[in-house]
Amino acid sequence: MIEVAGLRVVLPPATVAVDGVDLAIGPGEFVVILGPSGAGKTTFLRALNRLVEPTGGAVRVAGRAVTGASVAELRSVRRQVGVIFQQFNLVRRLSALDNVLTGRLGYVAPLASVAGRFPARDRALARECLAQVGLAHLADRRADTLSGGEQQRVAIARALAQSPSVILADEPTASLDPALTGSIMEALRRINMERGLTLVVSQHQLATALEYATRIVGFRRGRVVFDGPPSAVTPSVVESIYGGAAP
Amino acid sequence: MRRATAFVILLALGWAAWDTGADPVRLVRGMPWLVDIVRRMLPPDLRVLPAALAGAATTVEIALLGTAVAAVLALPLAFLSARNVAAPAVFYPARTALNFLRSVDTLVYALVFVAAVGLGPFPGVLAVIAYTTTSLAKLYSEAIEGIERGPVDAITATGATRLQVLRFGVLPQVLPLFLSYVLYRLETNIRAATVLGFVGAGGIGFYLQTYLRLIDYPAASTVLLVTVVMVMAVDFVSSRLRDRLV
Repeated sequence: MIEVAGLRVVLPPATVAVDGVDLAIGPGEFVVILGPSGAGKTTFLRALNRLVEPTGGAVRVAGRAVTGASVAELRSVRRQVGVIFQQFNLVRRLSALDNVLTGRLGYVAPLASVAGRFPARDRALARECLAQVGLAHLADRRADTLSGGEQQRVAIARALAQSPSVILADEPTASLDPALTGSIMEALRRINMERGLTLVVSQHQLATALEYATRIVGFRRGRVVFDGPPSAVTPSVVESIYGGAAP
Repeated sequence: MRRATAFVILLALGWAAWDTGADPVRLVRGMPWLVDIVRRMLPPDLRVLPAALAGAATTVEIALLGTAVAAVLALPLAFLSARNVAAPAVFYPARTALNFLRSVDTLVYALVFVAAVGLGPFPGVLAVIAYTTTSLAKLYSEAIEGIERGPVDAITATGATRLQVLRFGVLPQVLPLFLSYVLYRLETNIRAATVLGFVGAGGIGFYLQTYLRLIDYPAASTVLLVTVVMVMAVDFVSSRLRDRLV
């Protein structure tokens, strides 16, 4: 579903954030990218749909080239890739429902959408997605009046509204009360199980990673230092990822 | 270093005071004349009130129409001169052109437009449009540069087009600021428009200048009072509206 070959990302001025990553992720996997902060997890995820421009290497998603794609091709690939951010990144002044509706932007007629008009079936789908994360009753509330946990669930609904084949989640629980970690990860697991979507989630918390992942990929200094099932994560593997500093 | 800077600043101010003939003694000597003028203004001659009110209405119209047109014209210019939206090849020329045009004040534009289209309120409207468009474009573009990156990333990630990203990721963040800048500009334009009549570009300034020239101080004071009330009224309404926006 995702094929990454020799991916390299140098952030200006000269930080090598991702340093030659090869990775193949199959459909339906729940991959957790594990690593300390600064290991390049965020940059890696952002390079997968070119929110960050890769310096070298190739990325393919669902059999389609991401690197080297034209503007129109890139948009059409992005549409298939839902993204969940650490800071939720909702548009504050829009309602919860309108935020979810923006997930349909890649499908609807551009000019009509800019005028604020969305087809009825896209609106219905957005409502459905909001209901799926249990927030149907908050549809008309402005996004910035919602709690952090609610905002992140709206963001998940927005990603689902894209009818994606892949969801990328960058530290989706790091900005939340630790008590909410479980509910967000549980929501992601449900998406993975029920819809068979491929999930790539970055996490710096070892326990959470081991609990939810079907596969762990360990990052350190922009390189993959471990790749295997959670059961294969031994103390020495943890050491190799975190470099002695226990998580 | 700091001491040297302070010295240079003091020197510059001292020279400016000498060069402009700024002299407190002269001010004190002039005080009786100031009192005399104020005394001659009282009581205001209310017979000219209808003319003053008509002039005030024209001034408000000039400011309203000019500001409204400029608020729209400034939009595309703002996106072209915002560093985080426009390509560098567009951004630098646009920003330079704006800075160039903005260095000319409304009153100077009025002189130019009076020469071009003749006397009356219309050149006043054009002058307000010319100055306000560039100054709003600058304020708008700074608002655009100050937006949060996150929502823009999120909208981009959905596969949205550039225009959709502007509409859903950028516009909701800047629209309240834009409206508040427009109202703020309306307030300053009312003030600017009061003197447009001095150069023949219509409004209440024409009456003020006429009565001052005729040395009819009671009539001039009526015009001044109307001006003050008009400016305060617009400020009041505008600031109430602005409070609602945030």
